[in-house]
Amino acid sequence: MKGHRFSFLLGAAALLAACAAPSAPAATTVPTRPSEAAAAPVTLSIIMEQVPDYDIVASLTRQFEAEHPNIKITFDAMPYDAMRDKILTSALAPSASYDVIIVDNPWMDEFARAGFLLPLDDYIARAPDYDFNDFVGPLRDIGVVDGKVYGVPYYNYALGLIVRQDLFDNPDYQAKFQQAFGKPLQVPTTLEDYVAVGKFFKSQGIFGAAMQPQRGYKIFEEWKNWLYAAGGNLLDAAGNVIIDNAAAQQALEMYIDMYKNAAPPNSVNWGFDEALRSMSSGESATMLSYNWMLPTLNKSDGPAGELAGKFALHEVPGGKAVLGAWHWAIPKNTASADAAWTYIAWITSKAIDKQRVIAGGAPTRVSVMQDREVWEKGFGQQYYETVLKILEDAEPLARGARAEEIINEVGTELNSAVAGEKDVAAALAAAAQKTRAILARP
Amino acid sequence: MLKPPLTFKHRLVLPLLLSLVLILGYPLAFSLWISLHDYRLTAIEQARWVGWAQYFTILTQNASFWNALANTLRFVGMAVSLELVFGLLLALLLHRKATPFRHFFRAVLLVPMFVTPIAVGLMFRFLLNSQLGVVPSVLRALGITIDWFSAQQALITLALIDVWQWTPFMLLLLLAGLESLPEEPFEAARVDGASSLQIFWHLTLPMLRPTILAAVVIRMLDAFKVYEYVYAITRGGPGESTETIQYHIYRVGFLYFRLGEASAMSYILIAVILMLVVLLFYALRRESLSQR
Repeated sequence: MKGHRFSFLLGAAALLAACAAPSAPAATTVPTRPSEAAAAPVTLSIIMEQVPDYDIVASLTRQFEAEHPNIKITFDAMPYDAMRDKILTSALAPSASYDVIIVDNPWMDEFARAGFLLPLDDYIARAPDYDFNDFVGPLRDIGVVDGKVYGVPYYNYALGLIVRQDLFDNPDYQAKFQQAFGKPLQVPTTLEDYVAVGKFFKSQGIFGAAMQPQRGYKIFEEWKNWLYAAGGNLLDAAGNVIIDNAAAQQALEMYIDMYKNAAPPNSVNWGFDEALRSMSSGESATMLSYNWMLPTLNKSDGPAGELAGKFALHEVPGGKAVLGAWHWAIPKNTASADAAWTYIAWITSKAIDKQRVIAGGAPTRVSVMQDREVWEKGFGQQYYETVLKILEDAEPLARGARAEEIINEVGTELNSAVAGEKDVAAALAAAAQKTRAILARP
Repeated sequence: MLKPPLTFKHRLVLPLLLSLVLILGYPLAFSLWISLHDYRLTAIEQARWVGWAQYFTILTQNASFWNALANTLRFVGMAVSLELVFGLLLALLLHRKATPFRHFFRAVLLVPMFVTPIAVGLMFRFLLNSQLGVVPSVLRALGITIDWFSAQQALITLALIDVWQWTPFMLLLLLAGLESLPEEPFEAARVDGASSLQIFWHLTLPMLRPTILAAVVIRMLDAFKVYEYVYAITRGGPGESTETIQYHIYRVGFLYFRLGEASAMSYILIAVILMLVVLLFYALRRESLSQR
């Protein structure tokens, strides 16, 4: 009997262990690529995130296949959560499952330093009229690791301040705000003004900000804008962790003040979807969100219904925004690197990028954002000029091979502070200590 | 005549043994090996021996690990004890021949158990959502506001979801246990004039104890694996208030790709579960011996 019990427990233990134990992967090596004659038919497999930008790319790709009859494209579109694991397993396999991948900002350094990605410098240098420097500087830089280019910008997700402009332009609110604060009601450009405006709207029956304090990625992404506005950062120029300094304390205290006194109640777990619902239903007056949410909100048949057209995009308070971006990249273990580059060079070329942006894709090239045809056929001059301003003054969410872990660990501590589990100083001290420990690992 | 090294019956068992070694033995051995290494999926070629220091660091310096373990124990305690109480009540009710439609209810009450846990998690995520959920909306109409996923409430909410899904399992085992009890002691008790409560306390419960123990152990082991609800609903938040041990191991192993550390955590978890199960069996054995 005893033996049976222990056999059962051993079985359970083995299952648990099996969950944590992958089979030993083969070493990654650069395959020798035969000449890949342009005439040889090839099928490229591309991993994509299932978002509206993917639909635009998929649609444009039909044009690519018509122009390049020997290259066939198959997409594997999936939710964000599934992507990193799939890319990793493909990169560790002897031959790649994906010939082209898209890489999120926090994964870039990690994948490049792990040797998963092919440097693209030679390809870029050889591409006629490609004009790599036309991509906005901070976006371009995310794809550069240790001096080599590993990724070409696909789309940006820099944050901006999206507001209900009709509320700011309302003479009644303007008069009341003037009376209460002794200054005109304007779209806030500082944290102090943002908190004041948020509290003011709440006093008028509209929540001041639809915030996203959800643990991990979301709160880190949102709060880092507040951190920049307070003059802080995660690391200083010398690489020292400074997330527990006075600027960070001020940013977190003000963020919590806004959450407690201007955001919808019980929203400590809110992420992107909940904040968007709150804005589009007219419940909230502002939100920090991706710049390309503006066209979605203003679309006549979009989620905002009758409120469509009443939203406007501005730079985040303080001006410097958190920059996120997806990049096209080529796995080192693909056997079709040349064809993969042919596709990437085509889809990110000036002409095709212009078509992509007109169709609603998030812009990455300066020339496209300054193109009159894009203004006319897209979302208007003001929108693209604001996006360009946001992108030029943006800093990546996080850099380094441990960015994903830092984002999640710091984001957990920040959320603890907002939920009232820890005080501001304790949460930031824990965030700093965890970040130092992560960076100190070999 | 020389005896063959393996008799016929041994040879018959051999394929099974080899399969077990491959399926269970190899992953166990491999995960033990990587648990003693700094083994990261993004730097496999740089894997290096760190020995028991890995375990020592987790046990002495990893506050998140201990917090996750404590959360898991709280979750298991809340969920399994409520499931036992509700399961027993329902089993007693459905065991009574006087209960109307009892066969129908037996079938209906088992349904939650057959829904995949990730779907249950998503279902409750929307049902309890403060913007879209039916439950908060109905409660608001009654003047009641509950933040189901606040730092203080979230773990209780997850335990209640587990209770919704797994009470049927407890019901199934306990009902089978009740139906297997002999009739004679109960008839004798009734003839002697014992009340229903006395019969339950002095007969049903002691006679059902082995079934209860088996049900509790099985549910406990299963509840220790809680992951899907956390993943689908809270992702461990707010803060670390719902981070369970399985979710923590997932985070370290598959989000940060530190498989060595995650494997060491898995082995510590196995040790904790083994200790709990042995203690439970020991306590029961002592009690049954003292009753003889």
